[in-house]
Amino acid sequence: MNVPKDSLSDPISFRKKLFTVMVFTKISTKRFFRDRLALFFGILFPLIFLFVFGSIFGKAGNSVTFNVGLINHSNRPIASQFIHEATASKIIKIDPTVTTLSSAETKMTRGQLDATLVLPSNYGAVDANKVPTGQVIVYYTENNAQAGQTLVAILQSQFQSSNSQYIQGSSPFSATSKEINTKSLTQFDYTFSGLLGFSIVGLGIFGPVNVFPELKKQGILRRLHTTPIRVWQYFTSTMASQAIIGLISLAIMFIAAMSIFHLKVVGNYLEIIVFLVFSIVMILGIGLAIGGWAKNERQAAPLANIIVFPMLFLSGTFFPRYAMPLWLQHSTTYLPLTPVIDGVRLLATEGQHLTQIGPQLGIMAIWTIVIYAIAFRVFRWE
Amino acid sequence: MARNIVSVKQLRKIYGDKETVKGISFDVEEGEVFGILGPNGAGKTTTLEMLEAIRPIDGGSAILDGINVADDPEAVKRVIGVQPQTAAFQDKQKLTEIIEMFAAAYGERVNPLEFLKEVQLDDKANSYAENLSGGQKQRLSIATAIVHSPKVFFMDEPTTGLDPQARRNLWELIQLIQSKGVTVIMTTHYMEEAELLCDRVAIMDDGKIIALDTPKKLIRDLLKRGFKKHETVEQANLEDVFIDMTGKGLRD
Repeated sequence: MNVPKDSLSDPISFRKKLFTVMVFTKISTKRFFRDRLALFFGILFPLIFLFVFGSIFGKAGNSVTFNVGLINHSNRPIASQFIHEATASKIIKIDPTVTTLSSAETKMTRGQLDATLVLPSNYGAVDANKVPTGQVIVYYTENNAQAGQTLVAILQSQFQSSNSQYIQGSSPFSATSKEINTKSLTQFDYTFSGLLGFSIVGLGIFGPVNVFPELKKQGILRRLHTTPIRVWQYFTSTMASQAIIGLISLAIMFIAAMSIFHLKVVGNYLEIIVFLVFSIVMILGIGLAIGGWAKNERQAAPLANIIVFPMLFLSGTFFPRYAMPLWLQHSTTYLPLTPVIDGVRLLATEGQHLTQIGPQLGIMAIWTIVIYAIAFRVFRWE
Repeated sequence: MARNIVSVKQLRKIYGDKETVKGISFDVEEGEVFGILGPNGAGKTTTLEMLEAIRPIDGGSAILDGINVADDPEAVKRVIGVQPQTAAFQDKQKLTEIIEMFAAAYGERVNPLEFLKEVQLDDKANSYAENLSGGQKQRLSIATAIVHSPKVFFMDEPTTGLDPQARRNLWELIQLIQSKGVTVIMTTHYMEEAELLCDRVAIMDDGKIIALDTPKKLIRDLLKRGFKKHETVEQANLEDVFIDMTGKGLRD
């Protein structure tokens, strides 16, 4: 480490040091908006992803719908309740003409149905503990596997909450009545929060990872190191400038998602902004650590890819985490990007408040401390 | 007699098991231009970097303007200006902003045009650094190094790669800086440059200083030892011809 130690008598006043941070922030922000390549990757690129994913998952309003056949072999009330809920759901569109599995199969082969739900005759039967049980069978064709699996995941998550109610001993028949929360379950909400996460990663990690090694190669950081500027001043100005750029980029994404893909933001904008700034700062730390440590691109790029790509996929950037097996859902909860994506969805589309997303904020706070402790330790000026 | 603004004693730098600077000692007087000459790998740049407080000192001591470099690197950085071997700046940054940024690194607010004028770049004030020529970048680099009125100015091979016009212009700049009372410590490969600019030179080889005196004295000593040039000395050389035919005016 070449970082000099603090001297006790420090003749450059703290105010002047903040002035340094301010000027660096101002100029590096200006520079970003003059750089076409940076603008493309920082703002346009995530927007392109938004349009691609938005048109896949955001068709017909803001929710994805599955055309399904529904065959009921059970005569128990809990089965009719299931049918009632499924009919009311905006995610599932039931084809009333399907009555047998064979007719359903024909329609599925033709692509007219995404999947078929079958309630077996014992669906809703009471088990030894007097708790109603049952298993919905989801049939789907090979090339509709994604829809089938997503349906299973949606049903699974729905059942999970009702199961917990049974275990707590509340009434079995009212249990699932309000559990289909179409507001929070639209595919696009998941996609959008994932894309916000992707955008934050793009700016915060790939930004410094690409720029720092180049600055070192040209000796620009080394030259700065001959001035009294400190690592914290340099980091803080980078943070502030990234927060400004990031907020602008994310605001554009919000506007595009709201106006084109009918994203409904029900949360408090100020809270969303505060949360996004926190997210940007935390994720930027990863970029500062990798870029600050790496001597050249050959060190920076592989390390960044090893860290970023698994995180992108496991944190629910491109497809929602509820589609993952449970063990994977549990183990990916603690990745740095997961609370960002979950948190922004909870705040923006589910209307929760910062006070309600304590677990997410906690995980992020711990990561921020860990990441910046590493970033400051490993930073090299050349 | 001027005071010693830099005092180096038994300075050492060790990389792994290789000692690149082997206990060198020298003093630099306030206001002089001090040259460090030597072939590549002699330890010139490493020596400068240790004095600039960006490379840890492994042995001996360096005192700069009364500050022990090893003890208070930040205080040293406040009184020195540094021009690195290659001048590089970030893209998409106006010259005025570059000056503004370097001044801000010292917590200072300056009028960038004043400094750009000094290095004849005021007409380029709103250009981006990537559109400058090599010589212009070197001049900009000098401007960034004097924004905080340093007492000691370090230059590492400032004229390498420049055309003769740009080189002469840079010599004038160095003399201008010296005339303001700034001490200049520079390394160079060009002997005629050292002869012209430097009040005293140290010749380094293999991590050691093998000679230290005024250029005139070093030449006299050599002649005293009976040295004779193989060719007769002409009253002009090829560079004189080049400058005579192409003029002294800057080309960029």
